[in-house]
Amino acid sequence: MPEYKSKYGWIGTVARVFSREFKLVLRDEAVIIFFIVLPAVYPPLYSLIYNTEVARDEPVVVVDESRSTLSREFIRQLDATPDVWVKDYAADMNQARDMMARKQCYGIYYFPADFENKVYEGSQGHVTLYCDMSVMMRYKAMLTALTNVQMHMGSEIQGDKSAHVIDLGGGFVESKQVPLGNTSMGIASAVLPFILVFVIQQSLLLGIAMLHAGGMGRRRRNKGHDHLQIKATPGALLIGKTLCYLVIYIIPSIFTLYIIPLIFHFPINGNFMEIMYMLIPFLISSAMFGLVMRVFVNNREGVFLVIAFTSLIFVFLAGVSWPEYLTPFYWKALAQVIPGYWASSAYVRMQVDGASLSQVSNMYWALWILAALWFVIAYLTEVMVLRRKYKAMQLECDIDPTALQKRTLYQQGDDDMLNPELLDDDEEEE
Amino acid sequence: MARRPIYLCMMLIVPLLSAWFFFDLMENGVVERTPVGIVDLDKSDLSRKLTRNLNAMQQVRITKSYHNYADAIDAVQRGEVYGFFFIPSDFSTKALSNKKPTLSYYIDYAYYAPASMQFKGFKTVSVLANAGIVMNVLTTLGMPGEQVSATLQPIVTHVHPLKNPWLSYNYYLSSSFVPCLIALLVMLITTFSIGMEWHAGTSRNWMRTAGNSITLATFTKLFPHSCIFITVGLWIQYMMYVTYGFPLNCNPWNMIIAMVLLVLACQGFALFIVSLVPNFRYSATICTLLGMLSFSFCGFSLPEEAMYSWVSPLGYLMPIKYYFLISADQALNGIDLFYSRYYYVALIVYILIPATMLWKLKKNCIDPFYIP
Repeated sequence: MPEYKSKYGWIGTVARVFSREFKLVLRDEAVIIFFIVLPAVYPPLYSLIYNTEVARDEPVVVVDESRSTLSREFIRQLDATPDVWVKDYAADMNQARDMMARKQCYGIYYFPADFENKVYEGSQGHVTLYCDMSVMMRYKAMLTALTNVQMHMGSEIQGDKSAHVIDLGGGFVESKQVPLGNTSMGIASAVLPFILVFVIQQSLLLGIAMLHAGGMGRRRRNKGHDHLQIKATPGALLIGKTLCYLVIYIIPSIFTLYIIPLIFHFPINGNFMEIMYMLIPFLISSAMFGLVMRVFVNNREGVFLVIAFTSLIFVFLAGVSWPEYLTPFYWKALAQVIPGYWASSAYVRMQVDGASLSQVSNMYWALWILAALWFVIAYLTEVMVLRRKYKAMQLECDIDPTALQKRTLYQQGDDDMLNPELLDDDEEEE
Repeated sequence: MARRPIYLCMMLIVPLLSAWFFFDLMENGVVERTPVGIVDLDKSDLSRKLTRNLNAMQQVRITKSYHNYADAIDAVQRGEVYGFFFIPSDFSTKALSNKKPTLSYYIDYAYYAPASMQFKGFKTVSVLANAGIVMNVLTTLGMPGEQVSATLQPIVTHVHPLKNPWLSYNYYLSSSFVPCLIALLVMLITTFSIGMEWHAGTSRNWMRTAGNSITLATFTKLFPHSCIFITVGLWIQYMMYVTYGFPLNCNPWNMIIAMVLLVLACQGFALFIVSLVPNFRYSATICTLLGMLSFSFCGFSLPEEAMYSWVSPLGYLMPIKYYFLISADQALNGIDLFYSRYYYVALIVYILIPATMLWKLKKNCIDPFYIP
């Protein structure tokens, strides 16, 4: 079949591919769901789950064998911290452990009988915290509460005791913490910015793979031809498609990366336009990445299975939970070919830490390099894998027109039934 | 099923590879040696000593020294360092004349785990700095040694992070995320394998092969999946508890049974959804969405009691939540099996629950429901 030639030359071909791809997206419900609905629904759900940001008022019990004024004051101050809630007193450690096993509390503060005496005798009083480690944030809350009360009471006692020698009143040096970027110090503001970027990348990959699977379905039914695909040169085809996705993604990107943080009060310290500039190479490289990855997808149901678990791995590779500087070099190398890795890092630095585009220029340029790299690979796969595959399908059909349908049925484990009108691959999705 | 390589790939290779990915990624276990900067405007003996102390901390590593605050902030924004320690210019003069200078530490909380570690390191160093000076003064004034330390720190704390004293991230995060990933895959594969019968229009045929018995049909279809997933699940447990040495403080059978029940419960859950929602597209969407969100709303990172009160009960809808609670009780804390009894029961209920809806599935298979 001759390739499409526009009278406006190469640009005309690109424009033709662009408008056709647009129509293909619009007529495919599943693709619309991935391109538009998923970025609109998933981030708010995620944000709602994490929106409380920090662990507050963790239930704890106290075993107070000291039963003194000092221990009671200590416990009162613990309860007053935002981090823990002294739910109950336990008679002894056994009872406390039982309460912990029943999940009535997640931590035990233990005051030995000599707690107060030791402090006033001029030696040191001891407090012990036992804490459940199934969730790290609980430990952090209980530890913070303990340390703060210890320091506060310590300096009060210090003041009393050393008054006759010198006025210590809290010591010689003060210190203060200044949180940068994520001033709420919460988990949502730390985790969500990364996830938002990956929602865009993964939804784009899903949609592209879905469009390709739809095309493959048409080829299987139509003797290896896709009558809806413009017969363009590989370069024009890839660029036309990418431009189409770029235009479609303007609104979902603004919504996900700007409106969502606005609604859920995540840090917004970046310059809107600069973030948009960063998005251009990100979307192009993600689209090209998707145009490569689609070769692994032949059936629409396969798409879904693959994307679900890669999302998780990509997010981890970006360093959201486990810091990048401790990541083994081979995982780091893998991370660097994923557009979302650079884009999430650049986005977090700009939007949360308030960096300018020039401060993250290495990430910005890495995205352009990835866009070029994935374009070259996409070009090669289009020429060397996909077009050969289409050719093979067409040849096979020249010999036996039903060969492709037979294979589909075979794969579905159906040997005796030939019911071609039910084989509409378009009917499916996520 | 064997004719579609994607299924086998999703059931064997993906879970094993992903499990290895998580275990290997966080093998170090503890977040430490976070790259930080220092701004020392004082440049005195005292401030240099402080810098040395900071570098000796396990939590942080000074990678660069900056001349002023603006340079340091710029470095944080560029991503060179995750935070910095600031020593003001009049630090030593003020400290020695009892005028209380302030040490500040700036921490980038966009990166959660490194931020916590920096806080710990910076705070300890500041407290020690104060202690050092106080000790000097008190000793000069002739206070006896032991009384000095008592005055310095009248109350001492001991913290026992039960069963994970290393504070290993791997033990904590991988032991919940990896089983959750298995649960997601089990639910997806179950939904797809039944959904494909409708989709390909072969559901009537499927019923006929099973002699029109829905119980037999689902059993024969899902049993091979169960066997494969259970094998994979136990293999992953072996990797966790034996190869990577995760804490296993209970009888290994408690966890083996929990894994078998988890796989069956997830199949039951997916089967229930498929029976209830006879539209392949919708049931697959529900399973995927719940499966992906269960990483968050089951309370692996943000504890359930800290969530909105309407979010945390959602976690209890998913089988993985009960497996997580069992693994915390048994493998981690090693408490009596008695305390986890309800979680095992819950998993068994998930296996039985689809039985109530199978009649509907049968009806839908014999008389498929078409969505144009």
